[in-house]
Amino acid sequence: MDLGDVLHYKWRRPIAAVSASGPSSSTKLEESGRKVGGLRFYLSYMAKDRAALAGLVIIVAFLGWAFIELVAQEVANLTNHPEYAYALLPSNPTALNFNEKLVPPSLNQFPTLLLGTNYQGQSLLSRVLFAAPHDAIASLAIVGSAILIGMFLGTAAGYLGGWLDELIMRLTDAFLSLPALVLAITVSVILGASGTSGFYAVLVALSIVWWPTYARFFRAQALSIRNAAYVESSKLSGSGSLRILARHIIPNSIDPVVAYATLDLGTVILTYAALAFLGIGIDVNYPEWGADSSLGLSFFPAAWWWAIMPGIVITIVVIAFTLVGDRLQDLIVGRMTY
Amino acid sequence: MVSSIAFYIARRAINAVVTIVFLIFILFLMIHIVLPNPLALARIYALSPHVSLGVLQGIVKQYGLDQPWPVQFGNYVVNLLSGNLGTDTQYHIPEIQVIGRYIPITLELVIIGQILGVLMGLYTGGIAASNRNNPIDYGTKAVYLTTWSAPVFVIAFIVQLIFAFWLQLLPSSGVVDPTLPAPAATTGVPVIDSVLAGNWAYFWSLTQHLVLPALTLAIVSFGLVTRISRASMIDALDKDYVKLAYMKGLSKRQVVWGTAFRNSLIPIITLVALIFAFSAGGAVIIEDVFFYHGAGWFTVNAIYNFDYPAILAFTIIIGFSVVIANLVADLLYAAADPRVRLT
Repeated sequence: MDLGDVLHYKWRRPIAAVSASGPSSSTKLEESGRKVGGLRFYLSYMAKDRAALAGLVIIVAFLGWAFIELVAQEVANLTNHPEYAYALLPSNPTALNFNEKLVPPSLNQFPTLLLGTNYQGQSLLSRVLFAAPHDAIASLAIVGSAILIGMFLGTAAGYLGGWLDELIMRLTDAFLSLPALVLAITVSVILGASGTSGFYAVLVALSIVWWPTYARFFRAQALSIRNAAYVESSKLSGSGSLRILARHIIPNSIDPVVAYATLDLGTVILTYAALAFLGIGIDVNYPEWGADSSLGLSFFPAAWWWAIMPGIVITIVVIAFTLVGDRLQDLIVGRMTY
Repeated sequence: MVSSIAFYIARRAINAVVTIVFLIFILFLMIHIVLPNPLALARIYALSPHVSLGVLQGIVKQYGLDQPWPVQFGNYVVNLLSGNLGTDTQYHIPEIQVIGRYIPITLELVIIGQILGVLMGLYTGGIAASNRNNPIDYGTKAVYLTTWSAPVFVIAFIVQLIFAFWLQLLPSSGVVDPTLPAPAATTGVPVIDSVLAGNWAYFWSLTQHLVLPALTLAIVSFGLVTRISRASMIDALDKDYVKLAYMKGLSKRQVVWGTAFRNSLIPIITLVALIFAFSAGGAVIIEDVFFYHGAGWFTVNAIYNFDYPAILAFTIIIGFSVVIANLVADLLYAAADPRVRLT
């Protein structure tokens, strides 16, 4: 058994006990699995590809910073001390300072002017750092909810079949017949009309739009696993549908989704930025990466950095997710030599 | 054989109609959950925020907004069959007249951009595959991963910066030079109209304005084509007929672009439909950056007025185009590869 198979079992730990021929072999798998699994294994796997390692570092930095800044902003909200929210930033991202308006990127006053300033004299670096939590929350929340909804609907459709399958797949097709961005625009505008605008409306709109790909994924997985020997044997031993779904079908469907989800985190950030660029769901007092780019459009190309710099930051973060997602996909598909 | 293809198309078409009607149903349901009060809907049609209740009630009567929403949905679908997409809330004329003017402009952009993107992708994919695992391959991958991961508006900005502002080769925004007299709208598609009218100045201006948005769209979408065509090219290059071609003494260029290339084209056909949907989304942003007044630009403006018939119309038209693109791709796929059977 090569490493790929071992990994396969490691990732599918729940089935090791059932699918392998007996309890003794499953414990063996667990033992050999421990050597290749775990954080250390994945780190060393990533380290073999320098680009993926760089991507991982950027992702960790992005998520770590987003968490720290989120805590700072929440503390500021709770204690009524707005200055806490930008205590860690080079400068206040929302204060007006017309003495320094439209300063091009430079190394003076490092790091405040690194990305230049906008018309209000606010440091773009501070604004980009301040806005990070929204993008991190959006990507994690949307992909998370898409996996949950897709898992629920897709597995139900694939495993139960019949008219339920037909209904769910028609719904999925209806959503997939439109580009996600167009549908997200439509849904967030509809939601915005009721007065629920801003960040949460966009989150809701994106989660309504995002699940169909995952539903397809999980349905295909459920269809292929449904007739596996271990599902049959579980049925024969008297398990009900729910138990089979929870113990066998779902745990076995997850791993191909993981790599796709990593890539998808980047796609969500792109779509979220595009919505903010169009002015959907933005709050005047809260900078957004996409919205800052859009504001810079009026001063383009004279103050080119205003429009381009936030976009470059988005690009770097999304590339990081793409590199890591690609590498994970190679691992899961098993076409890599280790 | 012919009848089986006709049967297949009919079945797919019925499926497509069901899908689109379902989509409209979902959107209708959402609108009426969010705005259950007919007066709130009527307010969108009113041109001023200070209209009296009587006027609003008149609007409710005029557009039948007080009917139960399933009835309104039914009416909408029935009207749709005769090409009626409702009445625009801002201009108070049939939606099809409003958005119909902008759709051909967007189609021009998407089709030209997509052709450019596919050509670019096929070329870079072929280059990457024939130089597998050497710096050229990695360089190509670095380029397309970057363009793939960059937001559409950033690519648009950079294209604009380089070609319009630094090199000053092409106009940075707009659809056409507004000082030129427009040719008679025979077909509604400006490029075709200007050719029919023999108005070459207008045609030239249209083309110049189209290049940068189309190039942006191509840069946004070529990465996916590169990736797939690289993979299918690598597959083709490993085949026996390629070895045979080498043995016959053909040069590497002849083998790669003559023999392997044509055999690697088939998976691209399905991809084209996929990219079409993707491009339609990207076109919204590109039109916003380039002030390219097409359907995407119109829809973004409709967003601010909550002009929901316009947004619904745009959504439905895009949905239809994507479904049709998918159908055409599947038929072409079957035509290109005799091993594929339509079922």
